Amino acid sequence: MISMSSILSSRSGLILFFLCLVPLATAYLDQGDYLLRICSTAYLYMLLALGLNVVTGFTGLLDLGYVGFYLIGGYTAGLLMARLGWSYWAALPVAAIHGGLWGLLRGAPTLRLTGDYFAIVTFGFSELLFRIVKNEEWLIGGPNGFVNDIPAPTLFGYELWQYWQQYYHILILLILTLLVVYRLHNSRIGRAWQAISQDEEAAQTMGINLHEYKSLAFAISAAIGAIGGAFFAQFQVNISAGVFEFWESILILCMIVLGGIGTLKGALIGAAILGSLGEVLRISLSWMRLPADSRYLIFGAILVMMMRFRPAGILRSTQKSP
Amino acid sequence: MDIDPLLEITGLTKNFGGVVALAQVDLRVMPGQIASLIGPNGAGKTTLFNCVTGLMAPTTGKISFQQQDIFGTSAHQVAMNGIARTFQNIRLFSEMTVLDNVRIGCHTQSRGYLWSAISRNRAYREEELQITTDAQELLQFVNLENFATQIAGNLSYGDQRRLEIARALATNPKLLLLDEPAAGMNPQETNDLIALIRSIRERNITVFLIEHDMKLVMRISEWITVLNYGQKISQGPPEVVQSDPRVIEAYLGQSAGSNH
Repeated sequence: MISMSSILSSRSGLILFFLCLVPLATAYLDQGDYLLRICSTAYLYMLLALGLNVVTGFTGLLDLGYVGFYLIGGYTAGLLMARLGWSYWAALPVAAIHGGLWGLLRGAPTLRLTGDYFAIVTFGFSELLFRIVKNEEWLIGGPNGFVNDIPAPTLFGYELWQYWQQYYHILILLILTLLVVYRLHNSRIGRAWQAISQDEEAAQTMGINLHEYKSLAFAISAAIGAIGGAFFAQFQVNISAGVFEFWESILILCMIVLGGIGTLKGALIGAAILGSLGEVLRISLSWMRLPADSRYLIFGAILVMMMRFRPAGILRSTQKSP
Repeated sequence: MDIDPLLEITGLTKNFGGVVALAQVDLRVMPGQIASLIGPNGAGKTTLFNCVTGLMAPTTGKISFQQQDIFGTSAHQVAMNGIARTFQNIRLFSEMTVLDNVRIGCHTQSRGYLWSAISRNRAYREEELQITTDAQELLQFVNLENFATQIAGNLSYGDQRRLEIARALATNPKLLLLDEPAAGMNPQETNDLIALIRSIRERNITVFLIEHDMKLVMRISEWITVLNYGQKISQGPPEVVQSDPRVIEAYLGQSAGSNH
């Protein structure tokens, strides 16, 4: 197990230490809450990027519909908490398991097909979910899938709704996810995934069961997405279908491409940049009376420039290292 | 007293639409042998390897390994059962390190899964240590231990071939299928390869190879099977096969009337 002293003495430990101090610093700033919100959103995207990375980065399969699991997690947790009065601590694991299950189901029909079919199925799946949520009335009640008044989690009687509490909440979720994903990557499972991404047939001759390992990646990736969605539901308090559009999937894909596909550090950095930039743009664009969605134009421009000048990602590395 | 064959193929046929790649091929590989499969280009040799290792589904026939039927067994299961192979055009995991390539080969010999990977418990750490030790030993066996941290794709051609063999050996096979292991090698490298194959046999691993280098084949093989146009046309020890007129005609006919 990792010892506390080794964490604190490493560079990551130092970064972590400063991140923990941010809310203290922002308490003295006028727009401190905005800053905390931007950071929290960035952490959420970093978590999602890690999740997408398990399928697209590690196993090499292009997932174009990752927002689907974000949606499943958000609505599962949102409905359980807002409509059935469940506690967040129960809703979160249920949302994760629900997401993981759908990850398996979505991937199962594609196991015997090539990666192109997988990409198409992922896209179709998320679009299907989006339209169901937008239009159906029985389960979610009301057009456009509004679920309102999702409560924040409570700990020892305190409701953790404040920005600084949300900040630590998502930071902890992010660190736990990073720990799990890092350990998987540097294990027999991670090696099997890497082998699959480089040469499926050669991987099979090493005794690697493709169906089993791909399904494992599908389930874990989806569960992480659902965890992100569950956090988002209580963070946003009110959710509706409009948040879970196809573009979010592409955005998260851009994040791991920006940072460098396949690497954990790359996913984190790409998500930190685009996630915080996205939040900043969303706020400032509407302040400038421009449509907030035009931030996607800027993302697109960044991606094009990346492809032209640094196609391997910001962290240009030839070796798949964490 | 009869010894059972390690690998027994009966009536193996593989059709690709209208093309007959293998037609009623019978052959046996005995345990502890160094056996070869030869024939002109396009004779169906790699197809036979693909059928045995489960990467292709044969059309009809019977394949038994250690007296167990493995016809239609999936590729990963065949590897788990103890058949390993290398590829004609070297299929290493070229973006991974040399050591990691061999460690992936150890997949069949390990069992660590989700819980042990995430919790990093003692079972995980012990198994990872064992895997790394075994991988390093295999790199030493093929004289690549100094390249352990290099990226596999950066190795020279001959070194890559040896790495592929080390990786295949990591799966702890009883039968090793080598697909043109000497391709592109100079005489010195070929001599090293012969020594390597012999020391593999000393580890109680049966070797079955496809080769075009006839000097290598004749020097090292105890039994040779010859294919042409998907059919077995000859078999036997080197002296028998190299003077078999059908074999000579198959090779001469190939080069004389070749249209490629």
